[in-house]
Amino acid sequence: MGRRDFLRNLAITSGAITFGGSLLAACGGSTETESGGLSIGTPQNPIKLPLTTDAIADGLPNESGTLEILNWADYQNPESIAIFEEKFGCKVVTSIYDTEEAAIAKLRNGTFKPDLILGMTDTGLAKLIAADLLQPLNKSYIPNFGNVISGLQNPYYDLGSQYTVPYFIYGNGIGYRTDRIDKNAFEGNGYDILWDSQFNGKVGVLDSYRDTLAMAMFRAGNFDGNTVDAAIIQKAGDDLIAMREATNPKVDILAYTEIPSGNRDINFTWSGDLFTALQYLPEGVAPDVLGFWYPEKTVTKNDFMCIAKSAKAPVLAHQLINFLSDTDNALLNREYVGYQPALESITVDLLISSGTIPESLTDALVTPEKYKAGLAQVSLEPAVDALWLEQWTRFTAG
Amino acid sequence: MDALHRGLTQTKLKNSPRLWAGFAIPGTVWLIALFVIPFYAVACIAFGSIDPIFRDAVPQWNPLSWDFLQARQIISSLANGPLRGVAIRTLVYVFSAMTLCFLIGFPIAYFLARHAGRYKLLLLVLIIVPFWVNYLMRMLAWVNLLSVDGLFTRLMRIFGMNYNWLDGSPITVTLGLVYGYIPFLILPLYATLERLDWRLVDAARDLGANSRQAFRLVTLPMSKAGLVAAGVLIALPMFGDYYTNDLLSRSPSTEMIGNQIDFFLNASSQPQNGALLVLALSLFLLLFMSFYLRSTRQQSRQITR
Repeated sequence: MGRRDFLRNLAITSGAITFGGSLLAACGGSTETESGGLSIGTPQNPIKLPLTTDAIADGLPNESGTLEILNWADYQNPESIAIFEEKFGCKVVTSIYDTEEAAIAKLRNGTFKPDLILGMTDTGLAKLIAADLLQPLNKSYIPNFGNVISGLQNPYYDLGSQYTVPYFIYGNGIGYRTDRIDKNAFEGNGYDILWDSQFNGKVGVLDSYRDTLAMAMFRAGNFDGNTVDAAIIQKAGDDLIAMREATNPKVDILAYTEIPSGNRDINFTWSGDLFTALQYLPEGVAPDVLGFWYPEKTVTKNDFMCIAKSAKAPVLAHQLINFLSDTDNALLNREYVGYQPALESITVDLLISSGTIPESLTDALVTPEKYKAGLAQVSLEPAVDALWLEQWTRFTAG
Repeated sequence: MDALHRGLTQTKLKNSPRLWAGFAIPGTVWLIALFVIPFYAVACIAFGSIDPIFRDAVPQWNPLSWDFLQARQIISSLANGPLRGVAIRTLVYVFSAMTLCFLIGFPIAYFLARHAGRYKLLLLVLIIVPFWVNYLMRMLAWVNLLSVDGLFTRLMRIFGMNYNWLDGSPITVTLGLVYGYIPFLILPLYATLERLDWRLVDAARDLGANSRQAFRLVTLPMSKAGLVAAGVLIALPMFGDYYTNDLLSRSPSTEMIGNQIDFFLNASSQPQNGALLVLALSLFLLLFMSFYLRSTRQQSRQITR
């Protein structure tokens, strides 16, 4: 697959990438889903988000002082940030979040007051907009926006990219130790390995109720990761409890440290975590001990960068978005983070030829085919969300 | 002497009631601001409602409008639902950890108080020094030592023990609790034992008691107040602990009440449940405190007799 094919495929799927699943059967012909006061965009029904304020004016000078970022742990290269600080004469401070739900709650109650938010996904966007927490972007500060994968320049969750610029792309699958598990173990229903009691105590799953419950649904052949069907949700909960009995899995987002350290053999996680894991391999351990099984039908998505409405340094926030959307800067950022930047210029071929990716991990790269076949995950209406959480509590309460 | 002292104090109080009442102001303000009001806020969240869009808590400040429906659900979950296992597990872990703390801590405190001699200060410092390092840092250090390729695990392998400490095992979590809280047991226990009138033990021995009898009939009853105080001091934080589990296990099979509170408050759309569990835990801990207060009152009555 050449770079041109990659771009063409993404161009074909522009705006509303063909995601599988039956998620929006109930959405009818409207341009968006209104549920419980949330405006939810979906691949079949993309959404133009409402504007409650104007973007900042053109040509404003950069603020001096501090730029505050809210981000996942280890999701930005300190070296990239240092270069940005030097270039723009500012100081960057970062707060960390570990679930979207907690981050949105803390943004609403004022615990977090960032300028720039990194790594949010469309499952959180509807709430961010409903709470009026974001400001529209002024693209005149982001000339590098043109570098973004063309299929994501007009995403279904934010038509016209009024509020968001894609950051990284990734898919959900299973990271594993190639020195302990053979690649062929994933033949048939690859998810079954998480239920295999011979790996008791050596298994992990994501501390993300949407991802992990959806994984249990996919295993059972239900490929709608946004289902409203109470019976399917209940079955996913039952199956996770069966997994708990069989393999006593850890529930966290630490696959990127626990697989390389050897504490875990298998972990259901985000594909990018395995590239991050390269940083955490103990001395003398070869990179090819890390492997990834990318299911044929799974969630493949991107996260994004957005600016808080109450940002004190909105110009600097725009500048950092632009900075991270530059190809060279994005490559440097990727060296630390591991995840694939959502830029057209950074293709799978380019990453493989860079020599930084061991052969055992080429499966973890998001190819245009995988992206095209990816299943979408969108915000759930509150009543359905409660059903999902009820099952998650059953699982995590042990 | 005691009666005279009491008489003097009462006279002073009568002479300057405002002055004495004034001394209570800082403590009262502190209690109201940092205990009564926050606790009331927790109750208002627990018996309030949920925002239909954001699924976060909307406190109900008027007690007359409190809604107890969710509370009933939590009680039934604690009695027969998914939270029952969590509650029982929390009790088992805390009581196991407390027992181990007593078994390890009492001999240490006893040795320090009676037999350490001129090394007493040095030994005390050696016990305390590791705890100058932050709790999280110490636990993270253990995570490194206990990981599959960690130093401790490799050392154990030399002796033929191939145990995966971090596979979500209850033993690791219990030992983590012991390690984290044992100094808070040793220090008050040492303070009690050091002030004991050891002549009473000598008298018991002179009157024919053997060393076991002297310990059981004299030393142990005399150190009861210290034992209860130290027990309460470590039990209270252990019941609400969630980070030991987070760092050493992260497995649903070792989930404690503190982890569920953390989950409900921080990562779920049912924060009310977190607040309700805080209230349930507080009520349970009140039992502990009342036992402690009753026991200290009895002790002081015995002393003043």
